[in-house]
Amino acid sequence: MNINTNTHIKEEKGVESCALPSYVRLENISLTLSEKSILKDVSFSLPATGISSLIGPSGAGKSSLLRCLTNLYDNWQGTISVAGINTRSWHGGDDALRRHVGLIAQKPAVFPASIYDNVIFGLSRKERKQNQSSRVERCLTQAALWDEVQDRLHDPANTLSVGQQQRLCLARALALEPKVLLLDEPTASLDPRSKQLIEASLHDLAKDMPILCVTHDLEQAQRLQGQVIFMCDGKVIEIAAANDFFEHPERLETREFLRWSVCDCD
Amino acid sequence: MKVFLSLLALPALLLPVACFLYIIVQAFPALDWELIVGSSASSGAAGNLFGDAANAGHGLWSQISGSLLMMLLACLLAAPIALSIALFHALWASPRQQRMLITLLQVLQGIPPIVYGLCGLVLLIHLLHWGISLAAGGVILAVVILPLLSSNAIHALQRIPIEQTESAKALGLSVGAMITRVWFPVAWSGMLTGLLLAMARALSETAPILFTATVFSGVLWPDSIFSPVTSLQTHIFYLAQEGSNAHVIDVAWASAAVLLGLVICFSLSARLLRRYEESS
Repeated sequence: MNINTNTHIKEEKGVESCALPSYVRLENISLTLSEKSILKDVSFSLPATGISSLIGPSGAGKSSLLRCLTNLYDNWQGTISVAGINTRSWHGGDDALRRHVGLIAQKPAVFPASIYDNVIFGLSRKERKQNQSSRVERCLTQAALWDEVQDRLHDPANTLSVGQQQRLCLARALALEPKVLLLDEPTASLDPRSKQLIEASLHDLAKDMPILCVTHDLEQAQRLQGQVIFMCDGKVIEIAAANDFFEHPERLETREFLRWSVCDCD
Repeated sequence: MKVFLSLLALPALLLPVACFLYIIVQAFPALDWELIVGSSASSGAAGNLFGDAANAGHGLWSQISGSLLMMLLACLLAAPIALSIALFHALWASPRQQRMLITLLQVLQGIPPIVYGLCGLVLLIHLLHWGISLAAGGVILAVVILPLLSSNAIHALQRIPIEQTESAKALGLSVGAMITRVWFPVAWSGMLTGLLLAMARALSETAPILFTATVFSGVLWPDSIFSPVTSLQTHIFYLAQEGSNAHVIDVAWASAAVLLGLVICFSLSARLLRRYEESS
């Protein structure tokens, strides 16, 4: 792995996730939008299973990085490979890549359809015409929403609360059976209970797939465990297992961020 | 200050109401159901302007149907083009191209409709030999309403929350699937509002069809798309020239009331749709 020399990565016992073979690999990713440098030589990898938390101040480039991973931004430089395949030459193009790498945005966006139809929204026309009840139940259960909506699956999705809509978006992404899950601050505007339910779902899902979760909430990053990737000003500053990252941060920038939630890495 | 500004705004509120009431009062002597559903083509020989004007009270049905036919043809021609322009603007145009497109539409919207009529006369009637016809009128009206229709379609697509588009893309939906399954269900009411406003505009245009599509009389229903039609707008124009005949002037006012009613129907439908769109 070709990692920026300024990035600090711990390879110690207890960093089990880092010891696993990597499934997603980013090498020297740079991105410029409107003549402004957003990402600068970002390199890291995600293990085949487990949660990785991407933290950093606003404007660090975290959300942009997720968009590069799914080619929603396509003018980035560097190499991104998923399961050893370069995402630039993904079989079936960007649409197929996005079905393989699920992305859940910060703000839930349900489509003007029923709860049931929202869950199967991403499936092919042929699949949608078949009975997908079992798939819908499985995905809603995985997203910790089944108990709350099982009696009203054909109600409009926009009648759900924001927290429920966010979990519906998670179920909708899971219905495509992605092999990687990317989440952009999935619990930013949720109540504590919804937050707790989504975190529990992520822990379950992470047993089978790599999950990259952007979060501003440092306590959440601690709870999610796995590896923590700290970004500031478009650069990766430090990567470590959650316990080490929060108890023994190596970099001065990390310590400043953990203490005062600010980062000056120019 | 509030009172002063309210007084300044008062004419803007009162003038349309006063005009509407005046038209209704003037139209009242001639306005009846027989006039609206009756046909005037049988009342005189084609081309006999003065004879027809004298018998003008026989009915407006052929004029109403002519106006509606031209409006429908114009919308059928302009709507797919406007939709394509809006989709190009949303999907593929660079920011610079988007700015240029908006400017171009604004410029086109500012061109007097008579100029479009003149261009249509030269191109369609003289060069292509279509003759004074429904087709010529429909094409010219389509060009007149295209900027309005395109601007409304662009704005309808712009009102779609970016999160919906990104979510659709993140699910791996193709561009076609995103347009039909996400954009249209969200933007249909905005687009339909634009179409209704464009219909009202097409109904109210007179100058571009005056010498390209319509005749005063002799036509009940056009034989083909390349036959001339009669229309309410031009009918009012011809009748108004008969200032000395009181009955003809009454019929002109009645025609104006019918036309106004049609335009208000489309405009109010658009208004109701916009309210529905805002509430949802």
